[in-house]
Amino acid sequence: MTRAAALLLCTALASPALAADPAAVVATYADIAAAGYGDSLTTAQALQSAVEALIATPSESTLTAARAAWLASRIPYQQTEVFRFGNPIVDDWEGKVNAWPLDEGLIDYVDPGYGVNEENSLAQLNVIATPKFTLSGTEIDASQITPAFISGTLHEADGIEANVASGYHAIEFLLWGQDLNGTEPGAGNRPFTDFLQGDGCTGGNCDRRAAYLKAATDLLVADLEYMAAAWAPGGEGRATVTADPQAGLLAMLTGMGSLSYGEQAGERMKLGLMLNDPEEEHDCFSDNTHNSHFYDGLGIRNVYLGSYTRVDGSTVSGPSLSDLVAAADPAVDTRLRAELDATVTALQAIKTAAEGGFAYDQMLAPGSAEGEALIMAAVNALVTQTASIDRAVTALGLTQISFEGSDSLDNPGAVFQ
Amino acid sequence: MLRPLILALSLALSLAAPPSARADVAAVVQNHALPGYATLADAASALDAAAQADCAPAALAPAWNATFDAWMAVQHLHLGPVEEQGRGLAIHFWPDPKGRGRAAQRALLAGDPATLTPETFANQSVAARGLMALERLLFPATDALQGDTCTLIRLTTADLARSTAEIATLWQQGFAASLTTAGEPGNPRFLSQAEARQALLTQLTTGLEQLADQRLGRPLGSFDKPRPDLAEAHASARSLLNVTLSLQALRDLMVNLAPDSPKSRAAFDSALARATALNDPALAGVADPAGRLRIEILQQSIRATRDALLAELPPQLGVGIGFNALDGD
Repeated sequence: MTRAAALLLCTALASPALAADPAAVVATYADIAAAGYGDSLTTAQALQSAVEALIATPSESTLTAARAAWLASRIPYQQTEVFRFGNPIVDDWEGKVNAWPLDEGLIDYVDPGYGVNEENSLAQLNVIATPKFTLSGTEIDASQITPAFISGTLHEADGIEANVASGYHAIEFLLWGQDLNGTEPGAGNRPFTDFLQGDGCTGGNCDRRAAYLKAATDLLVADLEYMAAAWAPGGEGRATVTADPQAGLLAMLTGMGSLSYGEQAGERMKLGLMLNDPEEEHDCFSDNTHNSHFYDGLGIRNVYLGSYTRVDGSTVSGPSLSDLVAAADPAVDTRLRAELDATVTALQAIKTAAEGGFAYDQMLAPGSAEGEALIMAAVNALVTQTASIDRAVTALGLTQISFEGSDSLDNPGAVFQ
Repeated sequence: MLRPLILALSLALSLAAPPSARADVAAVVQNHALPGYATLADAASALDAAAQADCAPAALAPAWNATFDAWMAVQHLHLGPVEEQGRGLAIHFWPDPKGRGRAAQRALLAGDPATLTPETFANQSVAARGLMALERLLFPATDALQGDTCTLIRLTTADLARSTAEIATLWQQGFAASLTTAGEPGNPRFLSQAEARQALLTQLTTGLEQLADQRLGRPLGSFDKPRPDLAEAHASARSLLNVTLSLQALRDLMVNLAPDSPKSRAAFDSALARATALNDPALAGVADPAGRLRIEILQQSIRATRDALLAELPPQLGVGIGFNALDGD
């Protein structure tokens, strides 16, 4: 603390006009969160309309339109993932909307060769085909599939996280179905007839499948309404980071570092590669993983640079963490900006390769040297930038005691006063 | 004029912390990491020699246990060669919440035997390799793997011997110096000695988190739904031994990193005494109230050790903790 106080003091004396104001920096952060969750909400509402059209008139074109709406909704949402770690209000809520990986056999039919989970007795439940079942000795009435049933009863049933009943990935599974192509190209291939009512229904229980899809989509919209409001003026998420700007700065860096290292580099990218398992893809049903990874990385850079490009093309920006770090230690800022750019470039290379026909599944295949090189380049870039995020924490005189959730974050003290 | 003066002062303050800072990092390298990895490579090599001679599970169990013991002495070090090319995951893939290890091994046993060569095996999923894969082959449960398990055992021990030898060599030839030359020109990984100290402190606190949250937290589950079946290495009844060995290893890391830490030592000793007194090798006691309470007390004692470390070490070392691999889910 003494060191940081001295550094900050000297910075203030030397160039008071140039020193960015922590309060303004956390305000930019809250503005970006509000815009990101706002965009996530409007794109989810577009998905909701497309799902209603699919259910009303199942066809190749309404299914394609619903899938396109889902893909569009992921672009803003993935850029908000950087808000998750460091903000308890987001972290406590995130499991409802983006829980992953899932035992999709909980929800609907699966290929007999898939969906095995020795730790989860509900991994093959198929609630769409099962209006009544027993959960921990209790008879469950699933005759009506409603948002309340999905969120209150089915989600994380039996206390098992893989029982993901709600959120983007549950909807993704209902729109695409299982990707049975292994480490070959191709996404899930659910036919639109899975939603046809009456004659022609495939997969069985098309009425209940349609009801599930509608309920899950309505639930997603409601959950995003909550989070968009939390970051709007007067909202709880905004209030928490602006009330104590030092704690807000630490929340920003915690989100950047935890997403970069433990979550994206480790859990989502390296682990999937080392398991050679396409089911470890983050957006595995839709084969959208390259985009999901890319927009995660972009979101991390957005927070540092204090700038977010909205889905309508407009920009939300303001005083940034980069400004503050540059004032405290220009070398750290220069290095971190370069490393964040390098990560986005490495993730762009994966995206470009996938869009060019080299699917993320294929990159995960055992012995795919080219795929391993692409993925490991991004993993290494994320790990490298994490070390500089640690440096930024130090440069700003902040102290991190724990990144497990955010409940035990240290109060960094009145460094900037 | 004022600015450089204060900067100089602040630098002096940051360096004032421990004059022996570099010795601390060097002590961890010399007394903890290098001998730990050398012992692991020797144990894995002996296990492989034994397996090539005789793949009978009962005959191999002692050498497998010795290798697992050696791994537990370094398992908490998530930096350097073990993090490259998935080596650490391929040595010890746990937890495995979706049962991928058994599925991957079953697929290998059911596949074309010609694909079971050392070259192709090294490209297989990490879930099919390493100590936990061997446990499924050497300590078969009710749902035992069928097929040419002898060949699979030999491939797995050979892979383990290869990767542990690589790690030992890469530490000796490069990563040890990366830590001990922290802050010197040409060291891209650690830009200051403080960064090396921070990296090691982070291994220590993360290791304790993993002990409490995963090694004990997973079998504890909830009071209404304890999960003894999720205890690490319960088939071989090493669950508690792994907790004890990990505590001993983390204590050794601490003693080398910050020798003058009486409160942390006392906290470690208290946790170790509780683990020793537990006498519940597979942590099956999570499912009965009395046994569960004692395991919960051990868990609290490990968390208290982490708190003691966080109070005592950062001021001595002049650093806080950094990001770790458990951040995220």
